[in-house]
Amino acid sequence: MKKNTKIMLWLFFLIIAAVQLFPFIWLVNFSFTSSSEFYSSSILKWPDAPQWQNYINAWVDGKFARYFFNSFFVTAVTIVLTVVLSLTLGYAFTRMQWKLRSLFFTVILLGIMIPIHATLLPNFAIFKSLGLTDSYLGLILPYTAVSVPLGTFMLTGFLRSIPKAMEESAVIDGANIYRIVFGIIAPLTAPALVTIVVTTFLNCWNEFIMASTFLSKDSLKTLPFSVMNFTGQYSSDYGSQFAVMVLTSVPAIIIYAIFNEQITKGVTAGAVKG
Amino acid sequence: MHKVLNNKLAIFLFVFPGILLFALTFLAPIVLSGYYSFRDTLAPGTNSTFVGLGNYTELLFHDSRFWLSLRNAVLLGLGFIIIQHPIAIFFAIMLDRIGGKAEKWFRTIFFIPSVISVVVISKMWLSLLDPTFGVLNKLLDSVGLGALKHAWLGDSSTALVSMLVILIWAGFGWGLLFYYAGVKGIPEDLYEAASLDGASGFKLHLRITVPLLMPVITVQITLAMITALKQMEMVFLTTNGGPGDSTQFLAVYLYNKAFSASQYGYANAISILFIAVCLLFTYLSNKLTRSDATEY
Repeated sequence: MKKNTKIMLWLFFLIIAAVQLFPFIWLVNFSFTSSSEFYSSSILKWPDAPQWQNYINAWVDGKFARYFFNSFFVTAVTIVLTVVLSLTLGYAFTRMQWKLRSLFFTVILLGIMIPIHATLLPNFAIFKSLGLTDSYLGLILPYTAVSVPLGTFMLTGFLRSIPKAMEESAVIDGANIYRIVFGIIAPLTAPALVTIVVTTFLNCWNEFIMASTFLSKDSLKTLPFSVMNFTGQYSSDYGSQFAVMVLTSVPAIIIYAIFNEQITKGVTAGAVKG
Repeated sequence: MHKVLNNKLAIFLFVFPGILLFALTFLAPIVLSGYYSFRDTLAPGTNSTFVGLGNYTELLFHDSRFWLSLRNAVLLGLGFIIIQHPIAIFFAIMLDRIGGKAEKWFRTIFFIPSVISVVVISKMWLSLLDPTFGVLNKLLDSVGLGALKHAWLGDSSTALVSMLVILIWAGFGWGLLFYYAGVKGIPEDLYEAASLDGASGFKLHLRITVPLLMPVITVQITLAMITALKQMEMVFLTTNGGPGDSTQFLAVYLYNKAFSASQYGYANAISILFIAVCLLFTYLSNKLTRSDATEY
C-alpha cells in the first residue's frame, strides 16, 4: 500500500476511534464535575474542583464492593459449569455413538434461537415455586442454561476439526473415557474453551433483565444494579450517576484488556470454520 | 476405541445434566407459558379462567401493538443490514489492509463498547441525548444548527432512529470482529492474482473480498434480524417502548403486560408467539441461505 494512503487511513481510523470513544471520555470527564456544571454550554469541561465525592457516593451508595462480589461469584460459577457442560455435551455429540444423538443436539441448539425474554415470565413462576428466586442459584442456573447451547455449538465445530489420533493412542494405553475428555480433549480444545469463558463472562457480568426479574433481595444484587440504585435518591446528582457508571465499567474493561487477543482468536477460529 | 465411545454410563453422565438444565429453563417454561396463554389471570398462582384461544385471536386480530412491535423489529433489522453491516465490512477490509500495530490497536479500540454493560450504555446514551444537558444538542448549538435540537428519544418521530444509532454504536465491535475474521480467512494469493488481472482498490474488494465473504454475510444478516427481534434491555432501560409505542418491541411489550398491566395470561400468549416468530424466522433464513459454501 502506498505511504500516503496508509497515512490517510491512519487519520481516518483515529477520527472514527475518537468519535466512538467520545461518549466514554465525556462520561469520565463529567463524573468529576458537580451537577451545576452539567448545564454549561461547553462540551468537555475541566472541573472547577474535581468532585471526588462523586466516586465516594458511587462506591458507598452504589454498594460497589457487595455487588462486585455477587457478580464475581455468580459469573465464576457459571463459567465453570458452562465449560464443563459444553465440553461433555460437545464430546458426546461429536465423538460418542448413541441413538438420540442428533435429536438432543438439535434440542440443545434450539437454546440459541429461543429468546430468553419469552421464558422470563414462566421461569419466574417456576423459580418462585422451587424457592430459587432471591438466591445465587436462581441466577447461576439460567445463566448457565443460556451459555451452554452456544458453548456446545462452538465446541462441536472445533472438535470436528481435530483428528482422533490422540484419543485412539490414549485408548490403546488404557485411558478411560473421563481421562480422555478431561485430560486430552480439554487441553486440545483450549482455544475454544477460552472463547467460551470470555463470551460467558461478558454475557453474565453485564446481564440485567433476568437478575432484575429473579432478584429482589438487595444483598444478592449484581453490579449493573449499582447504576440502577442511582436513579432514585441521586436522580438529579448527575456527577455521582456518571461516577458509578465509570466505576462499574472498569472491571469489564480490565478483563477485556487481558483477554483481548483470545476473543479475536476464538472468533477467527469459529467464524471461518462456521 | 469403539467400546470406550459406547460407554452408556459416560454418555448418560455427559448428557443428562445439560439436558436436565435445558428442560428446567427452556422446555418447562415454554410448556407453562403455553398453559397460561389459554387463560386469563393477573399473576401466576392467582385465580385464572380458561379463555381458549381468546388471547391469541385478540393478539393477532385486534392488537395493533403486536404488529407494531414486529414492524419495529423489521425496521431495526433492516437498519442493521443496510447501515451497520456495510460499515463493518468496510472497516474489516481496511483493518486488514492497514496491518502492523495499527491493526491490533484499532481492532481493540473499536470493540470496547461491546464489553460495557447494557445498563451503563443505556443510561449513558439517555444523558448524551438528553434535551437539556445532552452533548448532541450542545454540539448542534455550537455549530449553529440549534434549530435541529431535539428530545431525540422523547419524540416518536426520532426515537426508533436514535435507538438504531445507539445499537449500531454498541454492537459495531462484534460485527466488525466477525467480518474481520472472515477477511483474515481469505488467502493473500487471491488478491495477488486479481491485481495481476488489473483489478485494484475498491473494485478489487468488490470483486474478490465481498463475494468471498458471502458465507459470513449471510450468517451475520440472519443474526442481525434475530438481534432486532430479541431487542429488549436497551429499549426497556431507555424509552420502555415509548413514546406512543414508537419503539415497542415484543419482549418489552410482554414484560410490561405481565408485570405492569397484570395481564399475565395475555403476556404468555405474546411469549409463545414470540418464540414461534423467532423459530420460524431462523428456519426460513436457514432454508434461504443454505447455498453451497464457497471453497477456496
